Amino acid sequence: MKNRNLKRLLSAVMIGAMTLSLITGCSGGGSKEAATDESGATVIKFGIHVANPAEQESVTNNIVEAFNKANEGKYKVEFEAADTETHSKNMKLKAEDGTLPQIFWIEGSEASEYSEAGVLLDLTDFLDENADIGTALGGMEAAFKDDNGQFGLPYQCNVQGIFYNKKIFDDAKVAYPTDETTYEDFLEMVKKLKDSGVTPLAIGSKNSAYAMWEFNEFLARYGWEENIGNILDGKDKFNNKELSACFEKLKGLKDANAFPENMATIEYFDAKQLFNEGKAAMFGTGQWDCAEFDKNIGDQIGFWWGPRFTDTQSSQDVVMKVPSAPIGVSASVADDEKLKEGVYEFLKFYYGEEAAKISYEGSIFPATNYEGAAASDSQYSMNVMIEALANGWASPQAAPDLTVSSAVQEALYDGIFGVLQGTYQPAEALDKLDAALANSK
Amino acid sequence: MRWLSKKKYKIGLMIPTLLVYSIFIILPIIIAVRYSFTKYSGIGQASFIGFKNYMRLFQDKIFWISLKNTMIMFVMAFVLLLTLSFLIALLLNKRLKAVDFSKALIFSPAIIAPIIVGIIWVYILDPNIGIINSILDVIGADGLKHKWIGGDTLSPYSIAVIYFWQQLGYLVTIFIAGLKMIPGDVLEAVKIDGASAVQEIRYVIIPMMRTTISTVAVLIITGVFKIFEIVQQTTGGGPNHLSETLVTYSYSMTFSSGDYGYGMSLATITFLLSLLITAVYSTLTKEREGSYGK
Repeated sequence: MKNRNLKRLLSAVMIGAMTLSLITGCSGGGSKEAATDESGATVIKFGIHVANPAEQESVTNNIVEAFNKANEGKYKVEFEAADTETHSKNMKLKAEDGTLPQIFWIEGSEASEYSEAGVLLDLTDFLDENADIGTALGGMEAAFKDDNGQFGLPYQCNVQGIFYNKKIFDDAKVAYPTDETTYEDFLEMVKKLKDSGVTPLAIGSKNSAYAMWEFNEFLARYGWEENIGNILDGKDKFNNKELSACFEKLKGLKDANAFPENMATIEYFDAKQLFNEGKAAMFGTGQWDCAEFDKNIGDQIGFWWGPRFTDTQSSQDVVMKVPSAPIGVSASVADDEKLKEGVYEFLKFYYGEEAAKISYEGSIFPATNYEGAAASDSQYSMNVMIEALANGWASPQAAPDLTVSSAVQEALYDGIFGVLQGTYQPAEALDKLDAALANSK
Repeated sequence: MRWLSKKKYKIGLMIPTLLVYSIFIILPIIIAVRYSFTKYSGIGQASFIGFKNYMRLFQDKIFWISLKNTMIMFVMAFVLLLTLSFLIALLLNKRLKAVDFSKALIFSPAIIAPIIVGIIWVYILDPNIGIINSILDVIGADGLKHKWIGGDTLSPYSIAVIYFWQQLGYLVTIFIAGLKMIPGDVLEAVKIDGASAVQEIRYVIIPMMRTTISTVAVLIITGVFKIFEIVQQTTGGGPNHLSETLVTYSYSMTFSSGDYGYGMSLATITFLLSLLITAVYSTLTKEREGSYGK
């Protein structure tokens, strides 16, 4: 009998233990207290959108390493790394259960949603305390300010446009594009390049619809910045005269066979490979690919903002030097003075002169501007971008695709690639944008 | 151990399993259904919007495209997998030369991760770099070249073929296990009675394998509604969602568009649809079993 009771008791205890472990296993278990490492340094978590920061975001990795070295035993920044999609999912889940890393990269179109949810720290006081950083940012931070305050700061500065391979242009006897090259010239250029047996403009849509940076310039030159406010307020539609003309131009490129035939089954990385291997004449991207182009294309690299359009009243003297997606600071950091101090120290370093130099060394434009920080002669790709920027043209406050919510952004990408692949007519693509906007309200 | 067979202990012992099942299966389903009635971006508060997501769903062209694609894959996979895996199992159940090698060969795709399966098939089906179009090029059959993936029409069929290739070995193994359960003396008696091979299959093997066939059928039904990695890897659902399935479209709306509420309404419909098809299949087979008994 005793034995039986013991067994009962044992079973009950085991069941209870399993149940408890399950329940506790599901709980967040997060602590509000700042963690420290073995040396007693306060650990600051930095959620980043790449799985391997040392390889994929080497500049940020170098900045973090430099900060850690300078603050040994005091502060230590550690990455919470995951690929962009997983990172975005993780951050949303962590925002829900209050376990966001102290600093994290935010998908541009989602930044305002985080701000509205009140999970981000207002960084106004940080900028007030560090006026030199405010000056160095030169207004780049304005894109990440709303009624809740300064909810983020630009992760980097993105310079976007079309890189081209001069050798391919020379072989095809095609003149290099310039600031004066029109859309009609561009179509002619595409035709000649196509006839020479290369892919004129490499692009891939599979799992990478976001890779449309060259078309941000198209949108900007059709008055995106001037009109988007009215569109989002419901006073205008995406399917308007300007954007219709813009999307017609995209269709024109499709009709001219400007893109790889298999653009639907290749990704951004495959398209970049085509360009790196000299199989494509042009590739739309930003400064983050400079180091790769230096290695593969060297001094044969050229950079162009894109074609001018003659059927619009909007300014054509536009460059795309915009803040990239922001980094935000978790609002919970304010609960721990020591942690907040550490985070601010890191931000001071990240937006400081030394980090700017590290950025240039890695062919990345930092969000800040400091005298003396510049690219070296062997950084060909970055130098052609700097040369292109020397025209002094204005840039929009933010890249067009980052000025709308995720749902509308997705519809924008979908619409652009739909037209490029011939699955949507321009008007149909724009109607889908309007529908996405209506659904998101 | 008699004490364990008492009803209350059985219930007690089932509690951990029920808890795990409830927490990881039932609860997420309930939460997903709840979110399907809300507008939610994944951050902040979800707001209740009633049936709006479901109404939007029926007006959404891409929903119908993904439903059509899922159904194409379902019909193709169901017909091809059920019949061919059964026939191959019959063949491999015989004492033939190299039968063990053939079994291993047929089963091998089942042990490859679906994401790798997708990559392999990209190199076969891609219109530019794929082997099929290259071979057609070499033999001068240009007219037969198609956009097997990434075009307007063929992607769902190609994905069904990939799924078939991946699942065949696994289902053949289940059928072989079922065939092994048929008593040898029954089959021997059938042969002595002079039944042909077709008669043996039709009147003895199939009726005796009804449970196995049902299991395989349910596995195919539920499997087709879970095809995800192959689509992501071969086409990413593109171009422009033309090759989406219900599950990839739900994923895309939830995580790419950040439209969690709408994504969950798609997930709910997918869940209900697979439940419905399984229920219809089970009912039909039960009716047939009933008629066998009469």
